[in-house]
Amino acid sequence: MNRVQITKTILWIIVGLASAVGITRFLFGLGAATNLTDATPWGLWIGFDVMSGVALAAGGFVITALFYIMRREEFHNFVKPAVLTAFLGYIAVVVGLLFDLGLPWNIWHMIIFWNPHSPLFEVGWCVMMYTTVLLLEFSPVPLEEQSRYAKIRSFLMKLRFPLVMLGIMLSTLHQSSLGSLFLIMPYKLYPLWYTNILPILFFISAVALGFMMIIFESLTTHWVYRKDSDTARTAKLGGIAVWVLGIYLVVRMIDIIANGKFGLIFTSSRESVLFLAEILISTIIPMVIFSVRRLQYNRNWQWIGATMVVFGMIFNRINIGGLTMIRATGDTYFPSWMEFAISFGVVSAAALAFMFAIEKFHVWEKKPKDPRTDPFALPTFDRASGVWLGSPSIAARTRYSLAFIFSFAIGFAMIPDNKIHSEGMDEVPVTSARGGDTLYIDGNLNNYGVSFDHTRHAEEARSGRGCVTCHHMNIPFDKNSGCWKCHKEMFTRADIFDHTWHSSPSGANIACDKCHPAGQLRTTATVKQCADCHKDLVAPNSTITFDNYLAVSYVDAMHDLCIPCHQQAAAAHPEKPMLAQCGGCHGQVPPENRIELLRNEAVKPGINPVVLPQMKVQ
Amino acid sequence: MEHLLEFARGPLFRLSFALMVLGLLRILALDLFELYRAYRQAGDKTVPWGKTTLKALEWLVPIRKVFVNRPVYSVFSILFHIGLLLVPIFLYAHVKLWQDDLGLPWLTLSYKWAYGLTLLTIITGLALIVGRIANRTSSFLSRKQDYLWPIALLIPFVTGFICAHLGVGPKAYQALMLIHILAGELIFVLMPFTKIAHCVLMPLSQYVAAVAWKFPPDTDDKVCTTLNKKGEPV
Repeated sequence: MNRVQITKTILWIIVGLASAVGITRFLFGLGAATNLTDATPWGLWIGFDVMSGVALAAGGFVITALFYIMRREEFHNFVKPAVLTAFLGYIAVVVGLLFDLGLPWNIWHMIIFWNPHSPLFEVGWCVMMYTTVLLLEFSPVPLEEQSRYAKIRSFLMKLRFPLVMLGIMLSTLHQSSLGSLFLIMPYKLYPLWYTNILPILFFISAVALGFMMIIFESLTTHWVYRKDSDTARTAKLGGIAVWVLGIYLVVRMIDIIANGKFGLIFTSSRESVLFLAEILISTIIPMVIFSVRRLQYNRNWQWIGATMVVFGMIFNRINIGGLTMIRATGDTYFPSWMEFAISFGVVSAAALAFMFAIEKFHVWEKKPKDPRTDPFALPTFDRASGVWLGSPSIAARTRYSLAFIFSFAIGFAMIPDNKIHSEGMDEVPVTSARGGDTLYIDGNLNNYGVSFDHTRHAEEARSGRGCVTCHHMNIPFDKNSGCWKCHKEMFTRADIFDHTWHSSPSGANIACDKCHPAGQLRTTATVKQCADCHKDLVAPNSTITFDNYLAVSYVDAMHDLCIPCHQQAAAAHPEKPMLAQCGGCHGQVPPENRIELLRNEAVKPGINPVVLPQMKVQ
Repeated sequence: MEHLLEFARGPLFRLSFALMVLGLLRILALDLFELYRAYRQAGDKTVPWGKTTLKALEWLVPIRKVFVNRPVYSVFSILFHIGLLLVPIFLYAHVKLWQDDLGLPWLTLSYKWAYGLTLLTIITGLALIVGRIANRTSSFLSRKQDYLWPIALLIPFVTGFICAHLGVGPKAYQALMLIHILAGELIFVLMPFTKIAHCVLMPLSQYVAAVAWKFPPDTDDKVCTTLNKKGEPV
């Protein structure tokens, strides 16, 4: 395989993985595919796909400004690839955004339902219009392939100048507006990144990144297709970019010093390390590379410098997009592998589209030819099977589709089962109530439980049906089974019949025909009931009935058990209204002698625990 | 053992199932591309679509071809295919596995029918292997995998049959079930990459042949002329 084939195969593998994840995300929602929480609703997809994606596509407006407005004719060869990169970049942003939106089918809402106060409204409109502009700017290139589109093409060519102007204007607006989004969170974003001039910084860095992205893209694609790249011109572009990077660095440092945040850079906290790393990678080292003449004209150093800016600016957007908010939110978010798969998959798909375009259309001066298509080349044979896979186009289809389906299948297999079946609820295991005569019922140990006077309730029950008022079932070989033994999950239902355990040699070791009668379908209707073998399972005369041995959640079990009785009692005793109010039981401080014990055992409450208001007892 | 079963039922099943579905779709798509290319490159673009379709359907339900060549073998082959398709797709125990999640209505075989069809598949499958060995022409044409794939196809039927009927102890049950699942998954993976792929390529191969291997009306005369044998019978 040659370089082009290897690159395309790898890209198809990533796209395959991302497709499997994408299906999971759209079928089962964000909870199944991401590690996002209420405290961290913006993760990798916003930080990388959208914020970095828009900035990475800045090459389009930067080069058109340089070529059409400033008349720098020598950069002519960079225009078409840069516009193509920008167009595909914006498509990738939109696709990436669709993955991240909770209700992606409502994306058109901003067109009809205007909210002019929102920066996102502006960003949305700008991205939408600029993608259209880019499409119109690029479409003359594919249209020149067929002479019947000549009229449309010449019309678009006449429109070129206004389109370029519009493109620059729209880019200026939304590149900066992405920064405006974060002006709303001065207490969340770490001070080294938060500043009033975030929109300006976003714009300047996008311009610098635009130049570097053109260099990066040009050098990389020429390397892949084994063409000599125009190193002298990329060096010139780099030289211009140094000035922009310099302006960016100066503005940013002046802002930090003027706001008295300079000391924060050297506190050796995690944020200060992030800041120093970001500035070094994104600005200072590349500036050095493109200023030293020997390095500036060396292809490898150019690539290193451009790549550093690209990664440094992505790093900057991710820092602002969430990484430096961790200190304020306290929520440790790390993207799941599925989030990475989608992000890289979208980029890979864009790269594949780019390669397709430069092979099919005149994006470069000369269409790059795959070495395989040389009519005098010897036929190559497939390594695995040793057969000739056919003409290059057929062999390519065979190979890339194989790579795609294999990685799709692996991605599909790796999708975690529990996340898909959890229906968006985290499993919270329940522990027993603690105490003696007075029980403290706090299944998930978050200190928001109920003090339950067991002795008093038992005495009251004795006058009626007895203990079976509440205690309806015992697990085998146990008496007085606690509620938590069957109602094992705080918020979800739990299956208390463990089929695997019953049929496993290490468990009950029971053959199938002991429970399932021979010759009949093995359904719940024909199977032996639990109580047929476990004689003491159900308490005699118990008030509570159940089917299928599916225990309701702990919360539901407690509420269903307590509330009906309390409502009856409240109706019978109008002088005690607290009997039927939530605060009557919840939020009470547990008995004094157990507070310390509870505090030690308690799991820290989550980011948004439900705190019930204290009720005044009348 | 339980962990292995869990792994075979979860990730491994999804892997093999996805490979099967996508792999079959892939070869279908690749073949359709080829069909389109053959049509574009063909000098004579008059393809008798209706006739070809009928012929393809006829091959899908090869009732009329049964008694042409090796009738006993053909009958056994048809019976084998019936069991092979019906039992895995409509067996209640299989349907139950995914119906609980999806809730789609689905036909199921009654216990007796499943029992009978499984036995039929095993017996006819074995008979086909014997027939392949006994017939000189087909044993000469057969490669190793032509014996191996039918045996692999029968493994899930045999293990499933034992698990479903005999009062096997949990240990044997789990071991057999593991073999059952793994063999089934092996077949899933093999499907797109071996001749089992004829399950989707079968009708298509008719079309490709009809489009790509179609000779213009007077081809025989031209061939004879080229070979300096004009006028002789072809």
